[in-house]
Amino acid sequence: MNKSASQLGSRKAGKESSRGTPARDAPIGNGPRLARVRISVSRPRLSHGTLETRKKHRGARRVRLIPDARKARPTLGTAMSYTLKAGQPILTKRIPCWPFADPKGRHVVSYDEYVRSGGYEGLRKALSMKPDSVTEEVKKSVLRGRGGAGFPTGLKWTFLPKLTTDESGVEADPGARYLAINADESEPGTFKDRLLMDFDPHLVLEGIAICCYACRIRTAFIFIRGEYHHQAHVLETAIKEAYENGIFGGKGLLGGTATGRGGPFAVECHVHRGAGAYICGEETALLEALEGKRGWPRIKPPFPAIKGLFGRPTIINNVETVAHLPSIVEHGSEWFTRQGVASTFPNGMASYGTKLMGVSGHVNRPGCYECDLGIPLRTLVEEHCQGMRGGKKFKGAIAGGISMGILGPDQYEAEMDFDIGRKHNVLGLGTACPTVFDQDTDMVAVARNIARFFKHESCGQCTPCREGSGWLYQLLGRIEEGHGRTKDLDLTLEIATSMGSMPGTTICGLADGNNWAVRTIINKYRAEFEARVRPTFVPIRMTVGAMAKG
Amino acid sequence: MAWITKNSAGMKIEKRSEPYLSETLKARFRSEILPRYETSMGALLPTLHAVQHEHGWLPHQALMEIADFLSLTPAEVIDTASFYEEYWLRPKGKRLIAVCRSIACEFCGQPEITEAIKARLGIDVGETTDDGEWTLVEVECLGSCDSAPVMLVDEKLHEWLTPAEAVKRLDEKPIGSASSHGLHG
Repeated sequence: MNKSASQLGSRKAGKESSRGTPARDAPIGNGPRLARVRISVSRPRLSHGTLETRKKHRGARRVRLIPDARKARPTLGTAMSYTLKAGQPILTKRIPCWPFADPKGRHVVSYDEYVRSGGYEGLRKALSMKPDSVTEEVKKSVLRGRGGAGFPTGLKWTFLPKLTTDESGVEADPGARYLAINADESEPGTFKDRLLMDFDPHLVLEGIAICCYACRIRTAFIFIRGEYHHQAHVLETAIKEAYENGIFGGKGLLGGTATGRGGPFAVECHVHRGAGAYICGEETALLEALEGKRGWPRIKPPFPAIKGLFGRPTIINNVETVAHLPSIVEHGSEWFTRQGVASTFPNGMASYGTKLMGVSGHVNRPGCYECDLGIPLRTLVEEHCQGMRGGKKFKGAIAGGISMGILGPDQYEAEMDFDIGRKHNVLGLGTACPTVFDQDTDMVAVARNIARFFKHESCGQCTPCREGSGWLYQLLGRIEEGHGRTKDLDLTLEIATSMGSMPGTTICGLADGNNWAVRTIINKYRAEFEARVRPTFVPIRMTVGAMAKG
Repeated sequence: MAWITKNSAGMKIEKRSEPYLSETLKARFRSEILPRYETSMGALLPTLHAVQHEHGWLPHQALMEIADFLSLTPAEVIDTASFYEEYWLRPKGKRLIAVCRSIACEFCGQPEITEAIKARLGIDVGETTDDGEWTLVEVECLGSCDSAPVMLVDEKLHEWLTPAEAVKRLDEKPIGSASSHGLHG
């Protein structure tokens, strides 16, 4: 800790002295690229935190966890060779995040602070537009769902049955329509929504308000996982603030502001806590849980947009997805499409905008980073996360939540956008939260850990998933312990390949996640698995020599 | 493992005279929670949470009272309650330690954390100490993979753990039951 302070001091004095320690100049990981980053001395735009707070932070936290890495790393690692295309963070505008600001300055953004820093302006603008124009704007932005599947949000909204209105703007169908916000962030490796709910809850609430207005929904539920005690509390406090300030309830959105649709439009917003079931992150299981039933996914169709919560039309969006809405409405879809990347496939759907990417595992600075979609995994790990822990080699990374499968050592350059699935033989981008493994990681153990998760979380409705996940775990456990045989490996692959909604054997995609995770790990690290199993000998009776004739 | 059930037909239910679902709780639910949902069953998860928050776990008598309150059958209530891992249908210790065993945590040192806590409390995973103070479980992802390994003690998340640190955190005072999840205010 002391060392860190002294290094910071020398850094303050000038760049020459700060580069003096030989250990610091030692190449780490993939040297040349990193070196370029480390030398950079231009002071980044630090809008949050002071040098002193950074000192404290770096001294306090990292030293315990990554002692080796600290010796070799520069202490002020705000590598600024990477900038966002928008010029500044969007989702994390009020949440200090590396590499733009020090997370030490994080705090819950209150309603007043949120409004002071330009909050609820997106909603104000949305209310001045017609609801359909808001939907049209979101559609034009090609905002894709941030919960994993990447389905275009605007298109999803248009699946709601059309509301016919008479001349005075009164809707013909008085029945309820619902918005369910999916905050059931339970996939191992994923922790991006937590950041928004922890520190900037009003951004989420503003997104909810905009979505409700655009889709003419009067009730929104935030379905938050049971383990997020603190986040649920923060959200509830923020909702209370929003009610008090006229955002929700009472007279209508934004204290009864006249809307482009006619009169004011009132929305109710509630938090609903889950109770520890991963499957409730599946949209129809989430609806079942909201209805107070066990979280069993429903057979589709009918899709939730037609028949969802309590049998009424329902939109289900991820927390991060709605958090994008205020800026899209405020700055326009064209602004949004200037960020991120277009698809490299002919007629492929683009990956516009920024994305929260939570990196965990064997890296020096794990955390949640806001990046333009399309950032190479290498940049994310080497620059944002300051490289692999202890200077070790990259062995692989889960693409984005364990159900997406694994990126092998030759896929370090993979671009983190929605095309990743087609390009790199993984299921998809998922939540873009990679878990990174170094050279010493036992991939058989990784596969076993993942199989155990899916066995534990299978809801038990469909036989291939319920039984298959159990058998995969048993087989992989056996292989890990060294009791496996070659045929076990083939059997594992056979079981994995035959379960999921894509082979068409299950209701929801949970088994697909299991399938892809196990299958890609075995295929990409086959040698490691083969070294752990004993060959299967088939006894053949055979007589050799002169007697063979008979 | 939500789908593993046991045959409970003919089971005798222990009853106490004092109800688990107090009148004040009922009144609060009638005014704040029930109006949110189109069906009374929608309020089932919040009700279960609230009763468990007060009592620590969900005895069968409590489930029957909840069924009565929400006009459901006891079977419907136990159907839901038995699915979710967070609801305890058997007694647990006063305080719960949930160590995350998912991917990032396991490969950043979770096994040693569990071992250290096991040694300190003298219990295995899934067990409760003899004095009824602690219950230790391993759970899947707690959503804090960047600060792995992590554990949840009651409602507080402890991050960046080392075995020594994890054991030390057990001596921290429990946070009060001030939070009122599922309810505004």
